[in-house]
Amino acid sequence: MTAMQVYRDDGPLGALIGRASRGVGMGETTLALVGALVLGIAAALALDPLPLGALTALVAVAVLIVAAGSQRPHTGRVAWLVPPLLRGLEYGFLIRLTVLADRDAMPLCFALLCVLAFHHYDTVYRLRHQRVPPPAWLRAAGGGWEGRMLAACVLALAGVLGPGLLVAALALGALFVTETVVSWVRFARAERPAALGDDEDDEVQDA
Amino acid sequence: MPRSESLTGARPRPARTAHGRSRRPVAAGAAGLIVATAPAADGGAAAALPLEGTTVLGQLLDQLHTLGLRTAWVLTRPQWREAIDAVVHTSGIDVRVLASEDLVEDLRVAADVAGEAPGTLLVARGDVVTHREALAGLLADPRVVSGVLVGPSSAGAGWCFRARGARRRVVSAGSPFHRVRNSNFSFLGFLKVDRRDREALIAAARRLAELAADRPETWEDELERKSAEWRLERWRAAQGDDRPEPPEPAEWPRLPLDAEAEAYVALRRRVAAEDAVSLLLVGLVRSDVDLAMSRLREFYYARPSSEADVRRSLDEMSAIDEDKVALDSAVKAVDGFFTTYFVSPYSRYIARFCARHGWTPNQMTTVSMAIGAVAALAFAWGTRAGMVAGAVLLQAAFTIDCVDGQLARYTRTFSKLGAWLDSVFDRGKEYLVFAGLAIGATRGFGQDVWVLAAAALALQTARHTLDFTFALGQRGMVDATTHMPLEHAADAPVRAGVPADPEDAEAGEEAPLPPAPARIARPTLKQRIVRMARVVLRLLGRLDRSRSGRWAKRIIVLPIGERFALISITAALFSPRVTFIALLAWGGFAAFYSLTARLVRTAAR
Repeated sequence: MTAMQVYRDDGPLGALIGRASRGVGMGETTLALVGALVLGIAAALALDPLPLGALTALVAVAVLIVAAGSQRPHTGRVAWLVPPLLRGLEYGFLIRLTVLADRDAMPLCFALLCVLAFHHYDTVYRLRHQRVPPPAWLRAAGGGWEGRMLAACVLALAGVLGPGLLVAALALGALFVTETVVSWVRFARAERPAALGDDEDDEVQDA
Repeated sequence: MPRSESLTGARPRPARTAHGRSRRPVAAGAAGLIVATAPAADGGAAAALPLEGTTVLGQLLDQLHTLGLRTAWVLTRPQWREAIDAVVHTSGIDVRVLASEDLVEDLRVAADVAGEAPGTLLVARGDVVTHREALAGLLADPRVVSGVLVGPSSAGAGWCFRARGARRRVVSAGSPFHRVRNSNFSFLGFLKVDRRDREALIAAARRLAELAADRPETWEDELERKSAEWRLERWRAAQGDDRPEPPEPAEWPRLPLDAEAEAYVALRRRVAAEDAVSLLLVGLVRSDVDLAMSRLREFYYARPSSEADVRRSLDEMSAIDEDKVALDSAVKAVDGFFTTYFVSPYSRYIARFCARHGWTPNQMTTVSMAIGAVAALAFAWGTRAGMVAGAVLLQAAFTIDCVDGQLARYTRTFSKLGAWLDSVFDRGKEYLVFAGLAIGATRGFGQDVWVLAAAALALQTARHTLDFTFALGQRGMVDATTHMPLEHAADAPVRAGVPADPEDAEAGEEAPLPPAPARIARPTLKQRIVRMARVVLRLLGRLDRSRSGRWAKRIIVLPIGERFALISITAALFSPRVTFIALLAWGGFAAFYSLTARLVRTAAR
């Protein structure tokens, strides 16, 4: 998996769609751009008359298109466009959906965005400083950008977007932060013997 | 095993110096291969030139000893062995002196030493006068795993070979027998090789020894070419203000020089021909070893070749305040406008204050985050007083945030967790302040700005992601460099008929020639786009020529200093709504600008 693919933050569904559509001739960037366009137009049109059901269907179409590129190595000349596009797509959509479905839940939406931003920055900075990205199970547990967007649609359809955002922010926040802390503890431990042998001496003295 | 004897990566307790800075000689236990084979003008060893009660080599060994070097092999010529023997045992380093007949043997010895030395190996020239801090930047910086000390092209007054670097990595290096296209640095003769790259060093040294024993024609040609250039340089200097037309390159080797200049060119050629260190660097670079570049900064560097040179070097060196240079260079060389002019001028003194009190960068990072959180609370209060207090606190948090990086560079205390914390807390502070402002807007201004706050967060995160992924693509391009085999003097195949620069014109035959590009009568759409992109790129590049142009380009992208200043000013004077609208407007324009510039850059390739 390339770093660019890690930055995409696809969930299990996105990976599945990507594997199923390996034969599609379009590049990952084209797919992402077309998908974003579809959703952008939908979100712009989604003034109050557009029912949430129709919006959800359009989200599903956009996910199908964008996720089709998830298993490509992202070696295209402009593949660097894809991850920022996906960030804008997901965050922008969550904001738009909250405004449409439950404007009062905006602070909760903001809280969830903070949690997601933490996860996405953490991915980049850990790859940079630990030389390994967060584990694949974490991306799967986070649902991926496509999983979170569809889940938000379902919550909105069920009329529980506000509580859903709160639960998602708390659960994902706890998960992402805990996993990072554990990874740093592990990283510090793994690095110690390689760096220095004299910590054992200190322990002996303490005993 | 006592602490000082432990091998690679040891973390000895910081020792305090007169300045009170904590020094962390992380190279503790490192070994050195000091090459003292360069002749001085008087025919002795340049490394053995006397210097204030010791010698050039003696001072260098003392400096390296304080940086954690424990064992060293000093390589010299048989006739200088006694002179070198007499000077090396004054330092605390366990020194073995080895005599070798010529360059070929030097390289073989280098391979043997590389196989024998434990831990990190420093390959260095023994005839250098420089500041200890300059060497510390290479040896004691844990971020430099394997790397070299480099200076501006003028460093070493021409007694050093050039190198080309990209993204702080060496991509091409020169030697007496190798040339560099588009060089942008000088290699100063200090090469730090991590244990992991030891095998590559051994292999390169062996291969170079083979080649040096039976020099390829291109090597001989390259040394002749360089000698001719040095002759031209002296000849031109002798012409004074007349500035006559430069003669044809074929004439250069026969240009008339006075006796002094003649001796200079001859010495320079002799010194060059002994330069095993530069050859080893070329060997490593061309076997694709990742070498970081540690810069000389404003420290002193010279390779004196006579006693008069040494005296002059000492005078010039003592005119430089080592601690001031260390502190100034702890400030990021390239930073935002606001940070450079409104924060760094005083934050560096806070950094030094922290260093003297033994405060660590991670403590400063945490303090900065805490102040940022208090600023968010003040903003959340919603009153005018709260807004002003938040604005001031946010600036305080930003200053401390600059301090932690400067403190880390000044004391060379770098940790991976620290770097991660610094980055994550930067973002954390910013988004926490967004939340504080949104709450304050509801409480004190009757404004609902949550959508604007969320949009500002989304835009900033997407902009950062664009920076990360674009850099990732660029790194891929550097990694993809293919290196020429060592027997070639040139560092890249020269394209048929289109040399990269005029100097390379005559080197055309030695490299394999790719097929000439097919001529196309009408430009295709793709070619037109590429051409147009190059024009736009040239226009953008024109901005770099002026200072204000360079700053404008940096301010447009709304870096962190400008962002925090914008938040503080708009929140203190106006309202949270104005803050978010300003962030979205400027940030949106910044996103448009950097996206366009990067697309153009990509298209122009």
